[in-house]
This record gives sequence, structure tokens and C-alpha cells, in this order.
Amino acid sequence: MAADPITVEVLRSALPAIADEMSYVLKRTSYNMMIYEVGDYSCAILDKDGNLLAQNGGGVSHFLADMGVVIRDGVQRIKKFEPGDVILMNHQAVCGQHLNNMCVYTPFFWQGELYGFTIIRAHWIDVGGYSTGFGAGMAAADPWLEGLQFNQLKIYKAGQPNEELLAMISDNIRYPESSMGDLDAQITACNLGLKRLEELFQKYGEGTVTECIERIFAQSEAHCRQVISEFADGTYEFETEFDDSAAAQDGPIRIHAKVTVAGSDMTIDLSGCSKQRNSAINSRTLAAPYIAYKALTSPVDPVNEGSFRALKVILPEGNFMMAQFPVPMASWSTALPSVIDAILAAMAPARKSMTPAAHKGAMGDALTFFGNDPRTGKRFVVQSTEGGGWGGRPFEDGPSASCTICQGDVRNGPIESLEQRFPIVVEKRMMRTDSGGAGTFRGGLGLDVQVRNLVTGRWNLTQTGRHRVPPWGLWGGHTGGKPERLVRKPGENDWSPVNANWYQVPPETRAVVRSAGGGGWGDPLEREPMRVIEDIRDGMVSIEAAKSEYGVVAKMSGKRGLEAVELDAEATTRLRQQMRSAHAAE
Amino acid sequence: MGAHVALDIGGTFTDLVYFNDSTGELRHAKSSTTPEDFTLGIENCLNKAHVELGACETFVHGATIAINTLIEQTGARTVLVTTAGARDAYLIGRGNRPEAYNVLFKRTTPLVRRGMIVEVNERMTARGEALLPLSEAETAAVCETIAGFEPEAIAVCFLHSYVDPSHEQAMGRALRRAFPKSYVSLSHEILRQYREYERSSTTVVNSYIGPRVSTYLKRLETRLEGRKFPGTLLIMQSNGGVTSVTSASRAPVGLMESGPVGGINASAEIGRRLGFPQVIAFDMGGTTAKASVVRDGQPATAEGYYVGGYASGHPVMLPVVDVVEVGAGGGSIGWIDSVGALKVGPKSAGASPGPVCYCAGGEEPTITDANLALGRLNGENFLGGDMPLDTAAARAALKGKLADKLGLTVEEAALGMLKIAVAHMTLAVRGVSIERGYDPRDFILVASGGNGGLHAPLIARELSIPRVILPVLPAHFSAVGMLMTDIRHDYVQTHARSMAEADFAAIRAICETFVKEGKALLASEGVAPEHQEVRLSLDIRYVGQEFYLNTPVAYDEVVREGRDGIRKHFDALHQRHYGQSAEHRPVEIVNVRANAIGQRAKMEFRSGSVGAAKAVAQHRDVYLSDAKRPTRCAIYQRDALPPGTKVRGPAIIEESASTALLQEGDEATVCPTGEIIISIGGN
Repeated sequence: MAADPITVEVLRSALPAIADEMSYVLKRTSYNMMIYEVGDYSCAILDKDGNLLAQNGGGVSHFLADMGVVIRDGVQRIKKFEPGDVILMNHQAVCGQHLNNMCVYTPFFWQGELYGFTIIRAHWIDVGGYSTGFGAGMAAADPWLEGLQFNQLKIYKAGQPNEELLAMISDNIRYPESSMGDLDAQITACNLGLKRLEELFQKYGEGTVTECIERIFAQSEAHCRQVISEFADGTYEFETEFDDSAAAQDGPIRIHAKVTVAGSDMTIDLSGCSKQRNSAINSRTLAAPYIAYKALTSPVDPVNEGSFRALKVILPEGNFMMAQFPVPMASWSTALPSVIDAILAAMAPARKSMTPAAHKGAMGDALTFFGNDPRTGKRFVVQSTEGGGWGGRPFEDGPSASCTICQGDVRNGPIESLEQRFPIVVEKRMMRTDSGGAGTFRGGLGLDVQVRNLVTGRWNLTQTGRHRVPPWGLWGGHTGGKPERLVRKPGENDWSPVNANWYQVPPETRAVVRSAGGGGWGDPLEREPMRVIEDIRDGMVSIEAAKSEYGVVAKMSGKRGLEAVELDAEATTRLRQQMRSAHAAE
Repeated sequence: MGAHVALDIGGTFTDLVYFNDSTGELRHAKSSTTPEDFTLGIENCLNKAHVELGACETFVHGATIAINTLIEQTGARTVLVTTAGARDAYLIGRGNRPEAYNVLFKRTTPLVRRGMIVEVNERMTARGEALLPLSEAETAAVCETIAGFEPEAIAVCFLHSYVDPSHEQAMGRALRRAFPKSYVSLSHEILRQYREYERSSTTVVNSYIGPRVSTYLKRLETRLEGRKFPGTLLIMQSNGGVTSVTSASRAPVGLMESGPVGGINASAEIGRRLGFPQVIAFDMGGTTAKASVVRDGQPATAEGYYVGGYASGHPVMLPVVDVVEVGAGGGSIGWIDSVGALKVGPKSAGASPGPVCYCAGGEEPTITDANLALGRLNGENFLGGDMPLDTAAARAALKGKLADKLGLTVEEAALGMLKIAVAHMTLAVRGVSIERGYDPRDFILVASGGNGGLHAPLIARELSIPRVILPVLPAHFSAVGMLMTDIRHDYVQTHARSMAEADFAAIRAICETFVKEGKALLASEGVAPEHQEVRLSLDIRYVGQEFYLNTPVAYDEVVREGRDGIRKHFDALHQRHYGQSAEHRPVEIVNVRANAIGQRAKMEFRSGSVGAAKAVAQHRDVYLSDAKRPTRCAIYQRDALPPGTKVRGPAIIEESASTALLQEGDEATVCPTGEIIISIGGN
């Protein structure tokens, strides 16, 4: 058999199918919501040089094609691999993410020779230190405070478990029944991948598989080049700011994207972004430029090493996204959605009909409450990740209450599921009226989530980075509503803003997480007046904002139902004229 | 004993099968589907087959009206009533974006606009305590608000109503009183299971399609009455069973995915009769291929699905036969993408314009064109010669659109298309077998649909499936299956406790309620007690997991509180599904489930219903695996093959609307009841 076009096509679906099957088994046998609900993991197949052969679809996006460094480092340092080895790795010098993201990988041998690896990176609910839940966040001043570090350790050697190491891990994490179960799930899924690879190699032979893979890489690259070559040559730039932790006293983070298109080549230069920081916002990752490039070129195709060959990334050592060990990295992914939005916004003039305004732009907007339930004597951690607004689009309003571009198939925790498992009551999970940025096409709405804790415990209530500079509009669209964190303890009458981790509260405290809305697209005065009226009828826009943002005047009709609110067409025309002349005068 | 009619409405055709189990007489008819009024197509079929409904005992009906109403968005003006604070649960959904990198990703289009979602001041806890009781003043105020919307349908979904439905019931009573003409669904009556978004969506879909579906079923009853039909009208459901018109009108959301069910049930039944309880049902039509697994005679069901696909579809969390579908059918188009890779599907030429060889305006080469160009299909004998196919046109399209661009011959390009399509379909069959922990070598493949017989033997070879069965009437298979389907009703109630702490008295009470309700409902549908059966099961998982496995239990085990035995069943299931189990870990129960089955007599094919004396073969050149050299193949007409005949591959067996291909090493045997069993070579 040879690498004819037909076999290439068969393997093109067969390789991702293996990664997807690994994902199916991992999700169903895992023990923490970060895996089964949030999908904070990725399953991949790499060759021994660290080239990505296939990665699962779904799951979070910011793990895009980022396992190569782990494998190359492992191959260099572990001289000898044997069948039955299982390696554990989360060290930030190479992985560059928070320590909760635990890589587990197994070598694949074909006819006695090392060919490659199956690998799964998955978010453990706790790795000791401050790492509980979504991760240590801004609380961790260095990697040792954050949690346990594993640096290319064999936890299974030729099929034999290292019992002492396993016991040591189990004793030093808070939820061993969860994470040790996740470890088993990762190993099971990796082994399944090995078995499927073996079947594939048996059927097609190593030579054919390798040749087909190279052909698939080349086709992926050619496809990307074709898309890029349709954009006008030139240099495109965009700049924004992102809040850093006030305690770090570094000032806001500068995000500067410079994109150069020359024929079918694209360079994404992020050297204008801030240097590494004192806070835990640092990382070592190409996720932002990779996700942006993927969104620009081939959003729905499977990913492989060829998907990024035509992209050049400039991200110098010491940049906050190419930070050097041992700076803290516990909040590694928070700013990435804004970096991606900045790259897309830079390219907006070259693709006006395809670029939405900014989305909520920051990881976070999570509910995290943990402690010991005195009623059961058991330790618990409540987690749910809440969506926010996406930007208005060139042809329609932006979606509301959706997760960031880095998260993909991440699902919130159902209220009924959270209340079944944990000592809380979710009193409200609602869209925030007027949080969508005004525009010809309105931004999506952010959320307002209010939770009452029934027992004493600690909240992680960190403000997201888009508080001071909320998601921007495009082409005259307005910014989206900014995010908030509020708390009200029993006996207090007012809500107080809060920005803290491990924030201890008594029972009957109420916490509020408000996510940002998306930016608007185009001048709000150009929005069809009846659309604004429909928004009022649906409670998405208030009567006051309709007037002040859109120049649309509503009147009460005296009817019941939706038609209680009607358009005052004359008053609207007058008001819009006034507003336009006022703008012109500015 | 008497005559039975099955009537299946598909997207293009309405199919009828009539069977008289006293005389063994079998009739079938096909006519065009009439979307403006489906009952017209039904009348046409009845007339074509000369069916006297006055002498019929049962009329089983499979309709697409439920799914069409949703997909075409032609349902009722619907109001949703929710718990205060959870107004947006239905609109927020799970907040996920399955197309992660697509910044223009489209979320599910809601069926109720936000302005028509009404909050109610009431609240239950997860333990069923009324945190905020529902007052009569509140229900009255809510009814007053809703009146302004002039609703045709109303859906009610309160938080934790699966634990204690009393608030929903009170709201429901008030609404039914205030709006006697509106269609009202209460979430706990549709689905008594936790997860508010999925339950809301299921309930909203039910209300949204309710008025149109129930009106249709009434019109159908009237039509049948007009033809003096004295018997029982039964409706196909997504869960693999049939139900009465009364039940179907109450929960029409359960009819949504009934299309493939008939074929799967027929596959199960035919497998059982021929001594093969482990079956993979495989159907390949014009646009898609579907695979589904039957274990020990039971079609596998999933606990729900997303109408319109996972990414942007509507979740409907009711049991549904577990089908994996791929975009590979006779009409699937072969094309070359922008970087020169050969692709097949998912775009399809469909029924119109159809493949190039239909000469109805199709210009893109399809799977059917490839089969024709390779001599696998007989252009002169298609649909019994009613519709000659243009081989030259098919070849020209393959050459111009594919072969020349790829530097291949026409035969190489055609073979390549088939290989890619077979690879896609193989992934679907793998999806329901290997990926669920089942070894395909333990199964047989039942091939139906116009294109099943041409491709199933190739898929079987890929997966080492030892045998393929070609059933009788493969192109009317769905209707055939309707005459082999039992009545089925499903029940679920969440009871989330660890196994150690589980209240077995409470579980027993739930089971007993299910058994009582199920049997009463079956009795009301005319099922005699000896034909009633209620199967119980528990959804179980390891503590800390989210996904559970549905674990069958005997009533006796519940009464005995057989915790250890039940968890052993679960451990074994986990081992089989995922290749791993954890005997040392605690387990927990999530849901209690029951299926109430009313067994019905099943249509039997009589021996000798086909057959001339001796098989006579013609011959023609067919390209098999070698694109350079055709093979001289024997060609048989199926209705001229007497029982007991053996045919060795390479060979082709043709019938009116279907063709089967035997490769070198395959051997077909004609069964006494007309089915053909193909032993796949090399296995």
C-alpha cells in the first residue's frame, strides 16, 4: 500500500478518530468537573520528534498544538523509553502553564522502535499548595506556593507502578480520590490510543502512515496559505490594555499585536506586549497566536503540525507569554482571550465582513467556593465557569452568555447539579440588561450570577482583567458592560466590591459574579429602531439605554403582552437627528 | 390474527407494508410524500396497495411531523414559565461553543423569546424542601401576565421539580384552567431528571410542537375512521417502541427521531429469528448512512440527543435509539478541495437533482455514479427498469471533475470514492461497536436501504464482521420493522445518593410506581397482562464521576437491597465500556429508570414466498479491487433465487430497488424465509 490520495484521505479521518476516542473514554471515566464538564484537557498523538499527528476535537482551545515542547524535552532527557512506561510532567520551565495541567504520556513502539507518544494533558482539581479548583490564580507568588512540580517522572516503568511516588502524590493533594482517579483515566485513555495506533500500523504499515502524515501536513499548510494570500499584503496593528493584579504594582499589561501579511506568509509579532510580571499572569505558550491563526485560516478543520507551518510567531524570551521559570504562572491563561481578540481586531480592516467586536476577553468569571462541609465532614469545592457576551458581528448581534475563545466546548455547572452536590443556593443566573455594547449589531449580554453559601468557606473572587478597559466595539460600536465581583455578608445591607482569592466568609454570605458584555459593531444610531424596541420587549435593553445609546424613543401603548412597548417613530427621528449633529459637532 | 398495515412517511417517499398473518399475504407500495397534507400520501398508498382498512387490526404509523415542525420552525407561539432567578436557564444553555475556533459560531436558536419567559416566585431545594412556597396569589398573577401573550402553548419548568413536582403541578392546574385552549406541558411529566437546561429544552420542544402534532394525529384518526378502520392506531416513537395516539399527543417530543427505529427493530428481529442476537443494523440511503447496535435482541438506546446536531441543536433528553450517522449515501458527491485532496460528501445531490446518471440535472459525480461506472450497478435494471441510468454521463463526470485533475483513470477515481465512503461508514459502525466496548466480530451486519447491499460487505470486511444479512424488502425495511415493534413507555426519576446511603425503600417505591403506571397504561392500550413487562434499571457511577452507566436490575434485587450484587453488575459494565473498573471505589446511584413493554405479535415471512426453480446467472464485467482489470461477474436476480441456493463471489445479486455485491471469497446462502446470509471471505 502506498500514500495514494485515497489512503491519505482515509488516514486523515482515522488519526483524529483515535484522539477523539481517547477523549471519549477520558471524559466518561474522569472524576472532576474540570475534565467531564469544562473539558479542560487535550488528547494527542505525536511522533518522537514532537510533531503533532492528531489532536482531539472539542475540549478547550488553548491547548492547541502545545505538546511538542513536552515531548521534545522528554525525549532529550529520558534516554530510554520502554513499553509500559507512563510519564508525568507539569513543570513550568517547559510546560509554561499552571501546575494543575498535568501531562501524562506513554511511548508508542512499532516493531521494537520508538515511533511516538500518546499524551493527555488534563486539569487536576488540586496539586497541593494554593492550586484548589480552577487553579491558584493570583494568590501564588511562585511555583512552590502553587503546588507540586513533576519534572518528567516515570510513575510506571515498563508496566510497574512506582508505588512510593504514587503514595507521595496522594498524600500531598487535597482530593486524592479525584486526582488519582483522573490519573487512572488518563492512563487508560493513553493506552487505548496505543492500541489503536498499533491496529493502524498493522493495517497500513509504518512507511505508508508516515508518508500519508507528511502529505496531510503539506495539505494543511497549503490550505492555510491559500486563505492568507487572499488578505491584502501589509502590516496590521492593534493595541489594548489588560488589568494586572493591583498588588503586583506593575501597572496594566500592554497587549500589542502586529500582524504582517506577505503573500501567503503571516507573521504575528507580539514583542510589543508587556515583559514578564510579578503577578501570576505569566505563561510560556504560543496558544494566543495559534488560536488566532486557526480562527483566521481553518476554524473547523482537524489540527496537525502542518496547520502552523506557514505562520511565524515573534514572542521573545522574557515576554509575559514567554516568561522564564521560576516566575509565577498560576493565572497563565487569563489574558490570552484578549490577546487573540487584539490579533483579530488588527486584521479587521482586511476582513471587515468576518470580524466581530471584542468578546468578554478574559478567562475567569468562575464560581469557586470551597471548604469543609460541617454537615458531612467532607471537603468540597464548588466550580462552575460562567459565560459572557461576544461582540456584535458585521451581520447580526453577538451571542450572549458564552465562554471565551480559549474554552470551546466548556459547559457551565447546572444549578440543579451544583445544589445537589454542594452547600450552596444559586439565587440568580441571569442576563445583565444593557451589558451588550450598543451598535448597529449589538454585543451579547454578560451574566449576573448570585450564590448564597450555606456553610462557612472560602471564595475565589478575582476581578477579571477587562474591568478598566471593557470589551471594545468596532466601527463605531460601543464597549460592552464591565465585569464585577460583589459580596454581601449576613447583616450587611450593601454589596461591596471584592477582588480576592481564598476569601473567608461566614454562612449565608452572598457572592455575585458579573461577566462582561460583548462590544457593539457599527454605529448604534444606524440600528433598525424596531430591533431596539424588540430588545426592550425582551428585557435586553432598558428604555433609558434605548434613548441614550441608540436614540430610540419607546412609548407605552396600553396594550398587554409584548406590544405594551411601541416605537415612537417621530420622537426617534428627532432624537437621532439631534444626536448625529451633536456627534458631528464634536 | 388479522391484517396489519405499517405506514412510514419519509422525506421523499411514503411507504406502505400490508401483512395478513392468517393468510401470509404481503403487499407493499410507495408513493410520493405530500408535505402540504401528509394524510393525502397515506391515502394514495392505501389506494395503490388496495388495502381495505375495515378488515385491519392495527395501523402502525411513523411520521416526520414532529421533527419537521421543529426544524422548519413552524411550531406554536410558546410561553415558558420558570423559577424566579432562573429566567434565562433556557437561553444561557450550557454556555459552550463546540466550534471553538469559529468566532462566528451560531448558538441554538431558542424556540421561546426572552420576552415570553415568565418568572414565578417559588423555589424548591435539591432535597425537595419548599424554600419559597408557591402561593395562589402568585399563580393568579402569573396567569394574568401570560394572558397578554395569547399563548398557543405553555411550558413549565421549575428548579428541582424532578424531586418534588408539587409547585409545577399547582402552576399547571392554574394554567390549564386559565388557558383551556393552550397546549400545556409540565417538565416533570415529560422528564423527571435533573439538569434544568436540558429539561427546559425538552419541555419547550414538547409544547412548541404539541399543537401541530396533536392536530395532525386527530386528522389522521378522522381519515382512518372515514375508511371504516376498526382497529388500533399506533405511533412510532424515538425510543424503539410504539405508543397510542393519546400518549403520543401528550408527549409528542418522544416521536422526534422515530425515522430509523423501524429498520433497527426489523434488524433485531430478523437477527433473532436467524439465530444471531448480536446485530449491527446498517442503513444506507441517498444522503446518509446510519449504524446502530442491537445486543441480545435489544436495540441500544441513548438517554437523549441534540435535534440538529450537538453544536447548535436542541437537547431532547428522552431515550432514543442510539444511531451514529455519517454523510455518506448514494447521492454523496465526490469533490477535490482547494489543495487537491479527494473528498466524498457530506454534500449530497439528494433526490433532486440526484446523481449525474439520473440525467435530472446533476453535474457532480456521486457514489451511485461511481458504482455505475464500475459496473456494480446495472444501468438498465435500476428500479426494475423503470429508470434507466446513463453510464456514459456518469463516467464523463468522474473523468472531468475528478480523474483528470488527480491524474487517475475513471476507474481509479471511482474506486477511490468508494474506498473513502466505505472508510467514513466504517467509522460510523466502529462508533457504535468498538468505541462502546463491543467486538464487531461477535456481530452480524443487517444491510438495508437502497445502497446497503453494495457497501455493507465491504464494511464488514474492514471490521472483520463475519456475516452480512440482506433482509427481504430492504427498501421498505422501516415499514417492515413497524410490524415487528412492541409498545414502549419510559420512566425516569432522579434519586441521587451514594450506594451505601441509598434509601432502597424509596427506590422500591419509585419502581413500584413505575410498574403500576406502566402496566395501567399498557392495559389502557389493550395489552393483555401476559404480554406486559416492566424492565428496571439504575444509573450508577463511581463517586466523583459525572457520566453514569445504565445498569439493569431485577425488582428482586431492589427488594433484597442487593447493594453488592448491583455494584458488581456496574463494575462489569464499566470494564466492558472503558476497559477499566475500580472495585475499591464507592459508587452512587443517580437515576431510577423503567421501560414498560407491551409485546405485540410480529410479522413473519412465510417460507417459499419467493422462488423459481433454479438460479440462472447472466454475466458482466465489474471492477472489484483492481482498477486496471475488470472481473467477469455472475449476475443473479434475487426473486429468481430459490431457498437453499448458494452463490459464491465475485457475484452481484439484483432486485428492484437494491443491489448486493459479493467479493471474491464471499458466499451467499438464501434462507427459507427469503433473507440472504453472506459469509464474508477471509473471516
